[in-house]
Amino acid sequence: MLKVLIPTIMLFPTIWLVSPKWLWTTTTAHSLLIASISLTWLKWTSEAGWTSSNMYLATDPLSTPLLVLTCWLLPLMILASQNHITPEPISRQRSYITLLASLQTFLIMAFGATEIIMFYIMFEATLIPTLIIITRWGNQTERLNAGTYFLFYTLAGSLPLLVALLLLQQSTGTLSMLVLQYSQPLQLNSWGHMIWWAGCLIAFLVKMPLYGVHLWLPKAHVEAPVAGSMVLAAVLLKLGGYGMMRMMVMLDPLSKELAYPFIILALWGIIMTGSICLRQTDLKSLIAYSSVSHMGLVAGGILIQTPWGFSGAIILMIAHGLVSSALFCLANTAYERTHSRTMILARGLQVIFPLTAVWWFIANLANLALPPLPNLMGEIMIITTLFSWSPWTILLTGAGTLITAGYSLYMFLMSQRGPTPNHIMGLQPFHTREHLLMTLHLIPVLLLVTKPELMWGWCY
Amino acid sequence: MADYKEAPLATRPKTLDPAEYFNLSPEYRRAEEKRAALRAQLKRQYLQQLNNPHRKELIEDPALTRWTYARTNNNYFRPTAKTSLIGGLFGVLPLFALYVVFKSDRDKREAKIKAGTYERPYKLST
Repeated sequence: MLKVLIPTIMLFPTIWLVSPKWLWTTTTAHSLLIASISLTWLKWTSEAGWTSSNMYLATDPLSTPLLVLTCWLLPLMILASQNHITPEPISRQRSYITLLASLQTFLIMAFGATEIIMFYIMFEATLIPTLIIITRWGNQTERLNAGTYFLFYTLAGSLPLLVALLLLQQSTGTLSMLVLQYSQPLQLNSWGHMIWWAGCLIAFLVKMPLYGVHLWLPKAHVEAPVAGSMVLAAVLLKLGGYGMMRMMVMLDPLSKELAYPFIILALWGIIMTGSICLRQTDLKSLIAYSSVSHMGLVAGGILIQTPWGFSGAIILMIAHGLVSSALFCLANTAYERTHSRTMILARGLQVIFPLTAVWWFIANLANLALPPLPNLMGEIMIITTLFSWSPWTILLTGAGTLITAGYSLYMFLMSQRGPTPNHIMGLQPFHTREHLLMTLHLIPVLLLVTKPELMWGWCY
Repeated sequence: MADYKEAPLATRPKTLDPAEYFNLSPEYRRAEEKRAALRAQLKRQYLQQLNNPHRKELIEDPALTRWTYARTNNNYFRPTAKTSLIGGLFGVLPLFALYVVFKSDRDKREAKIKAGTYERPYKLST
């Protein structure tokens, strides 16, 4: 764990001391090196337990895929931001990459934490660099509104979590996940305990986001610059899912009764947000709502607490992280050329950018969960386990799959097919950097088809 | 053309309406000329931008800007009886309806399991 954390902390001196000519090359190479070191986590030595070198930072089959995803994403974020940040003064460029690297550090410590309170502190700490990225480097005036919504929704959800964690510490004497997994089931039988149960989960449900409290997400995703959107969609939403999976261990048996409203909100949210996607005019907004839809499936899978549900949730989180990030990168390439996110403005791009049309195609097919990609594996596992939980859910999840296919194809056809507008000129050809970015996103998705056991969590 | 008679159930198109061409008042004519002049001006401006060889950026379309702004900044929502009904029907009622459906289904299954009569239809490890 430290062999990844220390190089990540050493990114800070790298950023500030390297000469301006080599800034982007060096940081990209450094973060790629960290990403390749992080792949060693995938070989876990003990079958089901934690692999740890000390008491406070450990990896286990649940956190390893998310950690590798986080480390993989940092070079991609730096690659994606290179174009729009380079015109700025050098110290501002360094600050930007510093924010990305600090986000990375907090995320590694969050996913690797064994004490729940450390996870909570890192969970909150990730808000700050993201807020600064959104409000300082976003492109429209709405970014202030977006930052406010993002910050206060998550904070309002996580204050009950702090209280709940302190209560847990008080009653069990420890907050280490290594210890709590062996603890006796808690006696949970009063209204106070129910509020405690809700307090444990609300923060993660807001972060996921659950349908009723998802309002921060479209704003934050749309107004953030590309690296902000990438990290939000790919990793920060998964913090919510990861937190829920960790907390569910201790929250039985109340979860059987109290989870119903949240499962219902999640399932209904799949359909509602999917339908909203079909009416969007803003490309990034469409991708943001599709994130809410997929995360609704993940939330449903986690809340019913079955083995397939957990596995499906992890797989869908990883696959969705990569694919959603890829879609945001593609949307950004269109934005950098036309300076507009309107879908009907940048259409018919297949004629002009044929290779990019391939990336759009693969990314959209992955988004609609085409076999054999891992998106389908995750969705099918969650849909199956939901069906086994109650057969009526198939109506909702089936309709959700249909709507997902609808808006993914809509996004593809709108941006790639059709007549190219006459008045668009001077679109720069696609840089090698952008093609590299897309391949680095999509190749792991394709490789995960061959070895999905890496993502199956505890149930492998 | 002046004695064109439309079919019994069809409406006469505007370009074939004799009121467009005959008996026009001078004010109407002047207004039409002004409107045509404005249209020609806008078209000339667009064509100048379109065919300018040194242009590298997009031609800005104010109508598109207005349209996207209107579509995204949704300040046009007002809670009326109809919108509240739709909101309740699609946003609130399904939640309660689904709760009733799932809870009763799960409780039935739980009762059968407790009574020992539940036969598992599939051999799945879900």
